[in-house]
Amino acid sequence: MSGEGSARKIVGGWLLLGGLLAAAILLSLMVGQIMITPAELLRGLMTGAGPGSLTLRVLRGPSTLTAVGAGAVLGASGAIFQILLRNPLAAPDVMGFMSGAGCAVVAGVAFGLFIPLPILAAIGGLVAALLVAGLAFHRSGRQSPLTLILVGIGIGFFASAVSSFLVLRMPPQEAADAQRWLAGSLTARNWGHVLQVFGLGALLFVVLALQVRAMALLELGDELAAGLGAHVERARYGLICTGVLLAAVGVAVAGPVPFVAMMAGPLGMRIAGVRHPASRLTAAAIAGATITVLAEVISRSAIPGLQLPVGVMTGIMGAPYLLWLLWKEVEAGEL
Amino acid sequence: MTGNGLTTTSLTLGYRERVVIRELSIAVPDQRVTSILGPNGCGKSTFLKALARLIAPASGQVRLSGDDIGKIDTRTLARRLSILPQSPKAPEGITVSDLVRRGRTPWRGLLAPWSEEDASICAQALQQVGLSDLAERPIDELSGGQRQRAWIALVLAQNTPYLLLDEPTTWLDLAHQLEVLSLLQKRNRDHGTTVVTVLHDLNLAVRFSDHLFLFGANGLVAEGTPEEVITPDNLQAAFGLRALVMPDPLTGRPMIVPY
Amino acid sequence: MKAVVGLALLLFIAMALTLVVGVRDAGISDLWNAFFAFDANDPTHAVIRSVRVPRLVAGLIAGAGLGMAGTVMQAVTRNPLADPGLLGVNAGAAFAVVVGALLTGYADSGMMAALAFPGAAIASVAVFLVGGARSGAGSPVRLTLAGVAINALLLSLVSAIILSRNETLEIFRFWVTGSLAQANTRPLEAMFVALVLGAAIAVIIAPRIEALALGSSLARGLGTKPGAVQLCALLAIMLMTGAAVAVAGPIAFVGLVVPPLARRIGRHVLRHELAVSAVLGGSMMLLADTAGRLVVAPAEIRVGIMTALVGAPVFIFVVRRLRPGALT
Repeated sequence: MSGEGSARKIVGGWLLLGGLLAAAILLSLMVGQIMITPAELLRGLMTGAGPGSLTLRVLRGPSTLTAVGAGAVLGASGAIFQILLRNPLAAPDVMGFMSGAGCAVVAGVAFGLFIPLPILAAIGGLVAALLVAGLAFHRSGRQSPLTLILVGIGIGFFASAVSSFLVLRMPPQEAADAQRWLAGSLTARNWGHVLQVFGLGALLFVVLALQVRAMALLELGDELAAGLGAHVERARYGLICTGVLLAAVGVAVAGPVPFVAMMAGPLGMRIAGVRHPASRLTAAAIAGATITVLAEVISRSAIPGLQLPVGVMTGIMGAPYLLWLLWKEVEAGEL
Repeated sequence: MTGNGLTTTSLTLGYRERVVIRELSIAVPDQRVTSILGPNGCGKSTFLKALARLIAPASGQVRLSGDDIGKIDTRTLARRLSILPQSPKAPEGITVSDLVRRGRTPWRGLLAPWSEEDASICAQALQQVGLSDLAERPIDELSGGQRQRAWIALVLAQNTPYLLLDEPTTWLDLAHQLEVLSLLQKRNRDHGTTVVTVLHDLNLAVRFSDHLFLFGANGLVAEGTPEEVITPDNLQAAFGLRALVMPDPLTGRPMIVPY
Repeated sequence: MKAVVGLALLLFIAMALTLVVGVRDAGISDLWNAFFAFDANDPTHAVIRSVRVPRLVAGLIAGAGLGMAGTVMQAVTRNPLADPGLLGVNAGAAFAVVVGALLTGYADSGMMAALAFPGAAIASVAVFLVGGARSGAGSPVRLTLAGVAINALLLSLVSAIILSRNETLEIFRFWVTGSLAQANTRPLEAMFVALVLGAAIAVIIAPRIEALALGSSLARGLGTKPGAVQLCALLAIMLMTGAAVAVAGPIAFVGLVVPPLARRIGRHVLRHELAVSAVLGGSMMLLADTAGRLVVAPAEIRVGIMTALVGAPVFIFVVRRLRPGALT
């Protein structure tokens, strides 16, 4: 009965989700101190000349694409933790993994270590995740997701404080840059950033695709998953690692942008109207990209002549969502 | 105690001071419906979980067709034996058919697409539990009995010769309890599936089982057919329960009347 | 008695260190002379009187205010994670002041600082509404997350406003993490009065709050009106937090770290706890500030970062000690 209708609805949902991303990208390329029309952009793309071409190649193209890539990896990362912990609040930004990644990057720069940023971010994110898991561990063996989330918030506080502390060790100009980066920034990204986020992101998405089936089983609970042939512990740790690494790739190019990872999963799932983990992760990636691109364009054009950090914008967008979520759960008597 | 079927050899379960099952060697009869009975805390759930390798024994083994299940590859085991834990939690918003499809996971290669065979086995499972019409409904919208049948459909779709269920009738009213148990009995009769359940209700267990394991606080009290196991002495030993046992007017099996 | 002596000693050491330590080290004799034999030409004397004394006073106001506000919040919500900084009350105060300055075009000190009070009040009401305090005791998780959200929102807005006005980095830092470095430009006298007023209300209603902690029906039986008590508590929190933010910016974690210690020392008598938390809060703030000036001298680390470095581990410790059942 509903097979046909729901299939059509799902296709519609995906089209809407994709359309929103395309619109956000177009907007981001057009809007700025100088408005560029779609016609000019197209001409720039075709001929490689004129203001459209300059916008695409240098001015806005790289930042916009970096935003797409960073948003996608963050969105997917958020959805992984939300599915694993069955809680919409479980996301690498809320649980301090991204602050940990950001802290490691700042430490690397402050101490003059010549380690590539994604590796620093990955180390920081994994250390934060280990700390959260270790500190939330309870003798009874069962960890409530809420304890994990609260301990994660605490780790986030600590990592942010350490980052601010380290920033002061830097020379003034570097310190100002680092401060902006810590707030989440997509200013002056170049094709190197684009390549980095898409290259590493694609690699991790392949790894994630191989883990999706195990994820669909973990969703049913550990015992049933084991009965259906999943290696429960191995699968869970694998997914946590993938999730942390995805977040680290995002942090490495855009800083610890708050709330994108948390918002993307539920938003994507709702717009596309999908359920299965594979679809949810895909939808979360697209939604994450859309949110980040929108936040980027708003942050640079909301106040003329001023570039706000993109993290300020995602904070303004994400916090009301979190409040709404809490409000709704209070009404529902959950949480 | 080796050979065919699901057997245990000197199985000890528990940890440190708290040993719940000690040195137990039994054989679950093949192609029969078996129920595990006993008072709360006697370790009947733990025993079932050990049979399904959800918990590792402190010592001894569980064997399936003579192989130690601890050494069988996870996916191979999942093709031979399925387990439905007590009150499983469904992911939010999942539909019945999506839930049941996940039961096919152990049969599918890593990149294998969804096959005709998978589809027909799922459809059959849904039909056996009588949920074909509700296949596209989110599971949260179903009644308790329907929901439990959806979970059973999932393990039926797993299509294993051994089917283990931990208290499949908890939270159900009497009519739905009967419905679920007759469903399992039918599966056993039609497909020769070996069914093992942990049950709370003695009379229902007697009515639907071919074989019983009765546990007390200090381990196995009795095993055998319902007629052999359900005696006033055994009930006293296992539950500390004083009861009359008389033949059920409907089935002729033993019926328990506590007093 | 031992506790009183210990607290007095702690406070004395914290105050002395604040006055003595700095880029220009002052000796005890300088200190004495600065107050009792002031020489306007001695730069050390000038620094002590015009920079370090205001800093000391601001630290005491902010520390005592946040410590006592935290104690009242934890007592009212029965939530050991309640802290004016974490629950967004500080951010509300900061936001109101910054918006006031934006709309009127005046600088933020003086009159504008009074906006901290309504800002703190509105943010507290918002966080309690969302955090579910209205349906009995709000769960610590809900309340904390509501605070995180309100904090993030308000501080993002504060950042956006300050950045858009091209203010100096110092002002940005003051309104986002809090600092005692601007103490001599802040309205200290007025805020001291507000703090005393808030503390007086808290002390007066303390027994009522204790009755409320037994559950609202039992409290009614003891002759307490829950609504009135909560309103008074809110007023006290608003005055004390507003005063703290107006002199030192939105500093987090003091109100988290101090109350559990105060409960130990004050032996679960709320009035005693309040007195202890005022002393502990003031000392913690001054010590954190002094440490922040020492660690990377001649630069200094804002006191808000120092309290977070100490406070975040305490936060995790408190979370670990919550019973799993208490979370939901």
